[in-house]
Amino acid sequence: MTVQNIVVDGLRKRFGSKQALDGMSFTVDAGRVTGFIGPNGAGKSTTMRVVLGLDRPDGGTALVGGHPYRTLPRPLTELGSLLDASALQPSRTARNHLLWLAHSQGLGVRRVDEVIELTGLGSAARRRAGGFSLGMRQRLGIAAALLGDPRTLMLDEPFNGMDPEGIIWMRGFLRELAQQGRAVLVSSHLMSELQDTADHVVVAGRGRVLADTTVAQLRATISDGRVSVRTDDPNAAAALIAAGAAVVATEPGTLSVTGLPAPAIVAALNARQVVFSEVTAHRATLEEAYLELTRDAVEYRAGEVAR
Amino acid sequence: MTVALRAEWTKLRTSPGTAWLLLAIVALTIGVGAAAAATITCGAAGCPEDPAKISLTGVQLGQALVVILAVSSISGEHATGMLRVSLSAVPNRLRLLTAKALVVTGAIGAAGLVAVAGSFAAGRLLLPGSGFTEAHGFERLSLSEAAVLRATAGSVLYLVLIALVALGLSTVVRETAASIGLLLALLYLIPLLTQAVSSPSWKRHLQQITPTAGLSIQATTKLSSLPLTPWQGVGVLGCWAVGSLVLAAVVLHRRDV
Amino acid sequence: MSYLRAEWTKFRTVRGWVLAMIVASAAIVGLGIMPGMQGTCGDDCGLPTGPGGEEVTDAFTFLHQSLTGDGTITAQLTSLTGILPADPDPSAEESRGTGPSAANGTASGRPGLVPWAKAGILLKDGTRPGSAYAAVMLTGAHGVRLQYDYTHDLAGPKATQPQWLRLTRTGDAVKAEVSADGSTWDTVGTAELTGLPATVEIGLFATSPQYSAATSGAFGISGAFGGPTQATGVFENVSVTGTATGSWHGEKVGGADDVASGTSQENARFTVTGSGDIAPAVAGASGLGVTITQTLVGSFAGLIVVVVVGTMFITAEYRRGLVRTTMAANPRRGRVLAAKAVVIGAVTFVTSLPGVAAVVLIGQKVLRANGVYVHAVSAAIETQVIVGTAAVLAVSAVLAMALGMIVRHSAAAVTTAIVSIVLPYLLAMTVLPAGAGQWLLRLTPAAAFAVQQSTPEYAQVDNIYTPINGYFPLPPWAGFAVLCGWAAIALAAATLLVRRRDV
Repeated sequence: MTVQNIVVDGLRKRFGSKQALDGMSFTVDAGRVTGFIGPNGAGKSTTMRVVLGLDRPDGGTALVGGHPYRTLPRPLTELGSLLDASALQPSRTARNHLLWLAHSQGLGVRRVDEVIELTGLGSAARRRAGGFSLGMRQRLGIAAALLGDPRTLMLDEPFNGMDPEGIIWMRGFLRELAQQGRAVLVSSHLMSELQDTADHVVVAGRGRVLADTTVAQLRATISDGRVSVRTDDPNAAAALIAAGAAVVATEPGTLSVTGLPAPAIVAALNARQVVFSEVTAHRATLEEAYLELTRDAVEYRAGEVAR
Repeated sequence: MTVALRAEWTKLRTSPGTAWLLLAIVALTIGVGAAAAATITCGAAGCPEDPAKISLTGVQLGQALVVILAVSSISGEHATGMLRVSLSAVPNRLRLLTAKALVVTGAIGAAGLVAVAGSFAAGRLLLPGSGFTEAHGFERLSLSEAAVLRATAGSVLYLVLIALVALGLSTVVRETAASIGLLLALLYLIPLLTQAVSSPSWKRHLQQITPTAGLSIQATTKLSSLPLTPWQGVGVLGCWAVGSLVLAAVVLHRRDV
Repeated sequence: MSYLRAEWTKFRTVRGWVLAMIVASAAIVGLGIMPGMQGTCGDDCGLPTGPGGEEVTDAFTFLHQSLTGDGTITAQLTSLTGILPADPDPSAEESRGTGPSAANGTASGRPGLVPWAKAGILLKDGTRPGSAYAAVMLTGAHGVRLQYDYTHDLAGPKATQPQWLRLTRTGDAVKAEVSADGSTWDTVGTAELTGLPATVEIGLFATSPQYSAATSGAFGISGAFGGPTQATGVFENVSVTGTATGSWHGEKVGGADDVASGTSQENARFTVTGSGDIAPAVAGASGLGVTITQTLVGSFAGLIVVVVVGTMFITAEYRRGLVRTTMAANPRRGRVLAAKAVVIGAVTFVTSLPGVAAVVLIGQKVLRANGVYVHAVSAAIETQVIVGTAAVLAVSAVLAMALGMIVRHSAAAVTTAIVSIVLPYLLAMTVLPAGAGQWLLRLTPAAAFAVQQSTPEYAQVDNIYTPINGYFPLPPWAGFAVLCGWAAIALAAATLLVRRRDV
């Protein structure tokens, strides 16, 4: 049985005329990275703020380690979080920022130096945080989240503004934290960022959970059996239709085929002696799965380009 | 220039506090003026007070709100980093500052006019009830009297100039809280400190050079006892306004944002 | 405790705030010492002290003889007249009492009496200024009074007509009586003059204090003008019982050399003319010198700085969203607010206390060295002024912080705090009529500056009792309580809001 580090149950929250949360429910378990994805306005940040007791929900509960966050005596030792990496007093040094946070949990200066080491802030720690790049601020935010050595971590869009090197570091770091047995909840509006990081995903849209599943299952659900065929042979389409498939020409020299598995397509083409260069079973990327799921949930869709 | 002006106007108009602040300037200025006019008493023996000045007492409080509005119009942009956006839209910094100054002038001028006119009306209405009657040697406040007209119109000008001083200095200081502190110190602290100076000549000199020298425009009686004539007083404040704006322009021009 | 520690770490790690606190303290000292007040008092400039140790004014004309043992003196005061200074020239601004302001020159002006012009009969332990006395007198506007040992003042009939007056000494007790016709007597009261020697001086006296009036001066800031006055009492039917020795001897007690003074005798009619006062000494327009409050003008500058810092202590967090980190680390928001209040209050108190102490102690010396007479105060009063001022700054910073928490915006919070603490004080001194100004100083947070009052206000001394002279309408700790009340309301409102609000 896995320990449920965060339990979000039926959260509802309205801001004026906008229903930000509409029955959001999910759990975050130990030992894995849970991706929390959804388009902008899906309610991810609001959910996180409710979990932290910053916003009061209109309905529902959010528990951290079985307790409401606001009742935790030393909350950062239970749940470390990073909401907004720019939430700093610019004139304070990074180290001093961590120091006051440490003091707020009854922790000493030694732990501050540990997390500085852990997140690779090193020499920058004694510089004014106001002068930090966004990537450095994210590292500082992670350091703050780790300060209490918590069982659970909750990070809102930690990849924002990071350079590729930073993203790779962050991915590895998150995996490592999960391997240590911690529960890690990471939100993102870009599925691809979590592709190789998250074991489990919670997809949100319009204030509720659209899918709560493992990455593998998500892919499987969305995979629709499309196969693309590369060929310049004009008879290809006819051959496939004759074999019982539905065919669409997506671009010159490429056909998108549904209704036949890839081996059957190869057999059909060979039987009619159609020349082809490639047959690829379409394996849905996480991104596509996500887009499919959230198609109706996107809050602000780009207007259709006039033709 | 008109484009920059229009942009600044839209910015001011759409920032949430502006309407409330302008309303508060009007309400508080009139309220304090009316309260002063109603509570003062002038007996049969006559009284040393200057009726026009009494009815314009509210300007002393109104100016604090004027400072908030003027300071927020620039330091708010420093705080949020919006100044960078503004400068990308209007790269000429002098033009940006000029546009801001004009817009603030317009807004404060309009609010100040309403506030001062209201204070005047309240004074005209309430002062006779407080003993400022012909029997005690006071005529009813009237704008046809040159000195009263000068005090009234001059108070509007005073508020506008205070706003410009505030705009200029807060551009230099950047930090909202510190700017407000500095300006309120200029407006309220310096008069207190000059009170503490015992040497009459020093006191007079100090009163001649502070921004609040501009308040001498409100005097309609005993002009000879003023350290400066009414218009000289406004001139001193005008120098402060010009000086602060020039300083702001220089600093804005040189500084990275 | 961890909440407190976190807030303290937060405060001390922003260099600007720490510097600002030092600047505040420096401003208190610098502005207090700088104004360079000059006076004309040398070493000779001092005030006599009364039997209670307080500084007193004791200047009058005395027509007296000695009385040994018990006895009475009776006299009919047949007229009390006086001379006031001429109408002020509005362009001539008087410097406030920085030197001896006792009457000088012969008062040449219009006839009239100041409210506390006095003429009557007096029993005094010798003629040394500051010695114990009891007197029953008619005053310009306050009727018949029994006054003794400077600070005591008992009202008799509200008469304005000349009266028969009588003092009866029995041991240390001196009974004062008044009569309209010389046959039916009413007791005004009895003065207990402990340790009165067997032989005292008894006789007729007249004196009249400095005239002072507030003027509306430059920028609407009130000035004061004043001048010496004189009072003349005419006495008849003077009789003394008991062992009186010596003949009537006219003498000017205390006061400057050139004051109007004189006695004359024409048959049984005595005329006594005098100028000065027999009363506690006050600072300000109608008194002499200044109080230690004078050294604290810089506390307003300090106040503005600590208000700015107090506000930023919270609004800086709101601006950057840091407050969410704070609330996530310390979810009990009421405690966060309390911790912030304790930290900003304590820091302000601790950093301003040395500055205030220094300026009060050094400032007095500087003023005295410059020839300004500074009223001496007890160590207890000095402590009240010093600790009180530091406490006012501390509570003001807390008020500003609470306002910052309520409005979450620097500009509005700083302005509200400064305007509510400083502006009432300024308005009270400038444009507003005295009554309205006094109410402002009772109701608004500005009331707190009453802790800076170092010398008491006396009903029997007319003075311009304004904050600039160091007098406030509320007693020191009551004024401080008003500020604390406002701070408590603001803190309560802030706590309520911060608990309810999403951050």
